[in-house]
Amino acid sequence: MNQKDMLESIVQEVMKQMSGGAPAAPAANGNTATADQDYPLSERRADQIKSPTGKSLNEITLEGVMNGSVTADDCKIRPETLEMQAQIAESVGRAAFARNLRRAAELIAVPDDRLLEIYNALRPYRSTKGEMIAIADELENQYNAKINGAFIREAAELYEQRGRLRV
Amino acid sequence: MTINENLVRSVIEEVLKNYQFENNGNAVAQTSTPVPETGGLTLTEGAIAEEGRKSDEVVIAVAPAFGKFQKTTIIKMPHREVLRQVIAGIEEEGLKARVIRVTHTSDVAMIAHRAAKLSGSGIGIGIQSKGTTVIHQKDLMQLSNLELFPQAPLLDAKVFRAIGKNAAKYAKGESPAPVPTMNDQMARPKYQAIAALLHIKETEHVVPHAKPVTLDVKFS
Amino acid sequence: MKSKRFQVLAERDVNKDGFIKEWPEVGLIAMDGPNDPTPSIKIQNGKVVELDGKKREDFDLIDSFIAEYGIELSRAEEVMAIPSVDLAKMLVDVNVPRSEMVKYTIAMTPAKAAQVLGKMNVLEMMMALTKMRPRKTPSNQCHVTNVKDHPVQIAADSAEASLRGFDEHETTVGVVRYAPFNALSLLVGSQVGRPGVLTQCAVEEATELQLGMRGLTAYAETVSVYGTEQVFVDGDDTPWSKAFLASAYASRGLKMRFTSGTGSEVQMGYAEGKSMLYLEARCVFITKAAGVQGLQNGSISCIGVPGAVPSGIRAVLAENVITTMLDMEVASGNDQTFSHSPIRRTARTLMQMIPGTDFIFSGYSAVPNYDNMFAGSNFDAEDYDDYNVLQRDLKVDGGLRPVTEDEVVKIRNRAAKALQVVFKNLDLPEITDAEVEAATYAHGSKDMPDRNVVEDLKAAQEMMERKITGVDVIKALHNGGFEDVAGNLLNMMKMRVSGDHLHTSAIIDENFHVISAVNDCNDYNGPGTGYQISPERWDQIKNIPNAIDATDFE
Repeated sequence: MNQKDMLESIVQEVMKQMSGGAPAAPAANGNTATADQDYPLSERRADQIKSPTGKSLNEITLEGVMNGSVTADDCKIRPETLEMQAQIAESVGRAAFARNLRRAAELIAVPDDRLLEIYNALRPYRSTKGEMIAIADELENQYNAKINGAFIREAAELYEQRGRLRV
Repeated sequence: MTINENLVRSVIEEVLKNYQFENNGNAVAQTSTPVPETGGLTLTEGAIAEEGRKSDEVVIAVAPAFGKFQKTTIIKMPHREVLRQVIAGIEEEGLKARVIRVTHTSDVAMIAHRAAKLSGSGIGIGIQSKGTTVIHQKDLMQLSNLELFPQAPLLDAKVFRAIGKNAAKYAKGESPAPVPTMNDQMARPKYQAIAALLHIKETEHVVPHAKPVTLDVKFS
Repeated sequence: MKSKRFQVLAERDVNKDGFIKEWPEVGLIAMDGPNDPTPSIKIQNGKVVELDGKKREDFDLIDSFIAEYGIELSRAEEVMAIPSVDLAKMLVDVNVPRSEMVKYTIAMTPAKAAQVLGKMNVLEMMMALTKMRPRKTPSNQCHVTNVKDHPVQIAADSAEASLRGFDEHETTVGVVRYAPFNALSLLVGSQVGRPGVLTQCAVEEATELQLGMRGLTAYAETVSVYGTEQVFVDGDDTPWSKAFLASAYASRGLKMRFTSGTGSEVQMGYAEGKSMLYLEARCVFITKAAGVQGLQNGSISCIGVPGAVPSGIRAVLAENVITTMLDMEVASGNDQTFSHSPIRRTARTLMQMIPGTDFIFSGYSAVPNYDNMFAGSNFDAEDYDDYNVLQRDLKVDGGLRPVTEDEVVKIRNRAAKALQVVFKNLDLPEITDAEVEAATYAHGSKDMPDRNVVEDLKAAQEMMERKITGVDVIKALHNGGFEDVAGNLLNMMKMRVSGDHLHTSAIIDENFHVISAVNDCNDYNGPGTGYQISPERWDQIKNIPNAIDATDFE
């Protein structure tokens, strides 16, 4: 398997895990992550933190950058890690922040350019209701982003009520 | 006298000295500073502004109160002079200026973006009554811009001419050096609250969903 | 006859400021507006059916968003029944710890929060801020910009600002198309000055995100929210688009906070006749509802508006307090010119400096104000020594430290040279030795040679088209002999993998250890508790270079 295939397979695997709706990536002890036990993850759970490409933190080195084995794609967060951070946020009573991190975990799979397009499409007067529903469908079906899909459907309804859709 | 008139009067007297609103023209009577020449500009509103087809035009969109309910910028520069300079700047570059009025918003970025979208060259200029100006391009995000001149108190005749010239250069596909950025950090403490007042006054003339209209501009 | 005394007074700095009388009908009133709604909440089947006097069917987008996501409903009815003056007393009471207080404050409505603050004077608000700010250790943020968008000067100023103690640096542009260069220069300069400093480039929302995705910035802040729907929409967003943007940042491992401030709605002409603080309270709740970790507020770019009306600076402090009450990081303003009068400027800043906040300034100008492209800050590079002496006089940790000329010259030179090799190795327009020399000793852009702006803008655009990332910058630094700086940049990129710095009030120390309101929680409960200046830190603060030492004399 060449490197590119390997990366692809890892990405697919990650996406599959997400689509399984598998709740929480468990922390080291099998429980949910907490502020007291696990934070900061980069110090206390360094063994579990991996890039989406499968590299652990100590494999992301200057030598790697210089010889080309480490690229910008290795310096990204993966859904499991954001889920652990969401659990940590909940352990200190920050439910709204945790919700944001879970929406974010779903969006990791969406490519940069598409993410920017979707953001712009959610701005006022940019989209028809149908276009917003189509984005929700796309997020749900293509990226298994269920929370975001529901979020955008809710927005489409309210934009319609308040006259903020494109006419 | 109602409390509102009272407030407007005191603000005008204390701070703006001879700033002129159409409805409150008498409020400036007792100041000693010379009253700026605000006449000499006739703006006649015409048909709904169409999308231009000629690539040699730059559209100038003015805000709802410009030259109509308000006659000068925040530093009392007559709107006549503002338009004259911007148009001259465009014409110096061999292009044509088309002037329209936007009334559905008083936001300068939206006004400029609408101008750009209606401009045959894709380049538009938006000007608020208080003087704040943006050069926009139709393919950019609304809140982005080619050049933004946010500090209205610093915009004089020379700057408005340079804005017209640069907009025309963009329209010709050139990459001009931006009009030198100006910065006066003390403009805010002096002018911001006044700017808010002027903007509220301008916004009172916003008509939601109104289409931009062509303006026939006559200088005398 | 004219009074000579009045003549002298008329010339005073304070009389160059603009002041206006209250005009409540259009929202020109700081707090407790006559048209502000009476606080209320009604919940049926887990849904909010009435919020601050408005029925669900009359909700605008902001009401709907706050009702759905922004209030802890489980205790809302109980907390709303407590008299506001009692909640105000609890905020000041050192025997009610932050951890307990938050359970009440996150269950309020916006009108309730504004009403509670209306019961407090500024001293009480400062007590509340000391207790309620999330991170125990206070910190500070700076602006690094210049009129010419000169990249070498940005790198040098950023390096110096790191040395002086700023944990976050923010840049913006004179000309929008310079943004990639400004972000790049700030990134390199900051990491030369002190490993672990977080940097951002304030530009249009989508562009700002793109710079972050490329690894050219580490966080974002200029994501504005507003308290009325019309102004929100004029700002070209909705609560949903902004919340989606917030998640987009987190999905890329980027820290972010929102921005809002009293006066923006009236400044933009649609305040709906409500007081500035009530509308700002709505902004704070929108931020909470979006799940964002923090907020920059304290009027920010609209400070001239609350600054011109009675009790306006009190309202600005009040909005900072509301942010901490909702358990969010506060970057507490002080970042815009607000007065000609040094006395007013200092008084305004003491409101945040003495209690300490997550970022006392959300932009202390690390350049002279003539170079500050946020239109000037309340304190600038020429006030460094004054600020250091204020810390020393009051034994307050304002986040900065005295430095020597030698160390500043050295670090500025190194940053300029580092950027020179980065430009060379990324094939960007040349940085000359003369520019490096000028930036080393410069105070501001008046001391810098001009660059070929057209060539720079073209190269900046190409840099984005070529998809240059932080990793390319690391290589350029390494190949140019700046291995340590390359290592610092890589460590900043690696932060994204763990996301530890996404949490509330996160800053990063020189060993890339994250300090946030998760592992450094504010536990103030009266004298001797909460943040204490360590003996080492006190040595740093008190040893200003120009203090005379008795042992120097016979």
